[in-house]
Amino acid sequence: MKEIMVYTERCNGCLTCVLACAAAHAEDKTIVGAMAAGVPGRLFIQAVNGRPVPVLCRHCEEPACVAACMTGAMQKDPETGIVTNEGHEQTCVGCWMCIMACPYGAVVPAPGKEKMAIKCDRCPDRDVPACVAACPNLALAFIEPEDFARERQKSVATALAVEAGVPA
Amino acid sequence: MTAYVIVGNSAAGISAAETIRRLDPEGDITIVDVEKTPAYSRCLLPNYLGGTRSEDALRIRPRDFYQKLRLNTCFGYRVARVDVGEKVARLDNGARLKYDRLFISTGSSTFMPPVPGITGEGVYGLRTLEDAKKILAQAGQARRAVIIGGGFVGLEAAWALYRRGLEVTVVEKMPQILPQQFDACAAAILLREMQAEGIRFILGTGIKEIAAPGLWEKLTGKAGRGVILENGDRLKAELVIVATGTRANTGLVEGTGVKVNLGIVVDKYQSTGMEGVYAGGDVAETEDVVSGRIGLTPIWPNAVAQGRVAGYNMAGIPREYGGMIGMQNAVEFRDVPAIAVGLAQADGDGYEILKEYRPEHNLYKKIVLKDDIIVGLILVGDIRQAGVYSALMRKKAKVTRLKHRLLRPDFGYGQVLSA
Repeated sequence: MKEIMVYTERCNGCLTCVLACAAAHAEDKTIVGAMAAGVPGRLFIQAVNGRPVPVLCRHCEEPACVAACMTGAMQKDPETGIVTNEGHEQTCVGCWMCIMACPYGAVVPAPGKEKMAIKCDRCPDRDVPACVAACPNLALAFIEPEDFARERQKSVATALAVEAGVPA
Repeated sequence: MTAYVIVGNSAAGISAAETIRRLDPEGDITIVDVEKTPAYSRCLLPNYLGGTRSEDALRIRPRDFYQKLRLNTCFGYRVARVDVGEKVARLDNGARLKYDRLFISTGSSTFMPPVPGITGEGVYGLRTLEDAKKILAQAGQARRAVIIGGGFVGLEAAWALYRRGLEVTVVEKMPQILPQQFDACAAAILLREMQAEGIRFILGTGIKEIAAPGLWEKLTGKAGRGVILENGDRLKAELVIVATGTRANTGLVEGTGVKVNLGIVVDKYQSTGMEGVYAGGDVAETEDVVSGRIGLTPIWPNAVAQGRVAGYNMAGIPREYGGMIGMQNAVEFRDVPAIAVGLAQADGDGYEILKEYRPEHNLYKKIVLKDDIIVGLILVGDIRQAGVYSALMRKKAKVTRLKHRLLRPDFGYGQVLSA
């Protein structure tokens, strides 16, 4: 199952992913439309010691937000692995239990009057989530976690090899 | 084939059933409940009362849930007694359900304080859909409502009835609302909001009696009861809601050897110690990770977590419960959200308190630390990072290096990741 993986060191904090996310969740799917309607992005670039750190939903194996949901709206799709409170028979009531439960702070109240929690839905209608497709620095990738881990190991190994003067 | 019997068709019971079905596709699972409705959310009853949620929208699972998971349902029957020796649950109609594994998630009931008149008509608890329907029927012909108890249930009921157009008075024995969860400062913000809306509060006094309509009132055709307070005042109301707390429904294991304190005592595996008998949810006592205290934790997320742990163990896969915080609550009135987690009121020696209070913005943040570990949290107005703080609390993480950042508006998981 593919997941959105983050290469924090590649992120330069340009916020293109946040804008692309907002646009993807706007009625007319444009950045202008999102800004006009006040649609927020569903991932966050946090500044830590002057460095940008992308924070987004991990679509956990046993999601705390799903356990906390007292309407049944927040569900994890067994097929896709997507965790979302939208598009189900049960609807969100804005009780904020999921916000209290999420260890990543990836669920937030919707802006404006509507009482509803919003979070990453991993763009179910797209092959690649909007944030990943938009990132100009390749800091986000939509890949199998195993591939991500393998790639990480390889890059560490390469770095060590270079340090030791061994041709990679 | 293993026979599983689950007593209680709510958060814990449903969670256990789903877990068992996932792990044991062949198992014979039966859910028993006194209530006849498919599983619904009690937390949403105030929304139903207030008219913002229909009865159908209270269901927590799709219509075909029981068929799809092949769960036998036995609704409308009470388990009168459990025979732990024979491994049989006896229903109140005399039927016997044989089990290999039994999960008790019978929840709790409204506690009616022992004052005269409390059992009279026009006086209700708010715990079940049936309660809510009775209240609604009465609300149609009522002008004034008195809510006894200023906790979550009381305030949400007050808010709902107020939205229905009733004159609502809340009576709370303690000097502040939400005395179990919030400190005086947070309670004052929420109180001010509800008062500004038009709900009346009488704090610091309990009730002495609920008086039936007097002879004169009956003769003149004026309905209504009097709620007599400890300070002698008499409030008039056609509708009284009692929300002073709950008691665990442990009757079915009385005299069986299953240990009961305030609730059913279970170990880390949600087992009662009797062979094949497990318990979870509001009816069971578990350990709070922050205080280390064993007690009832009548909140939704913990019921779901306990049901899941019980489900694993009942299906033969050992799994421990732990690391959950007993006290976590979220509430919102008039667009001011509020969250309290853990020892939010802790004060005095050994505790360090970080605070930010901006009354003009209805903003209040308080973090209680002990030895640089977060043990309590209150967020009013801005609740966005509540889960990040709670996770630090659950993990008992030392936040020494993060401390100066905790209250900053840009605090988030990124900081935790990089600390």
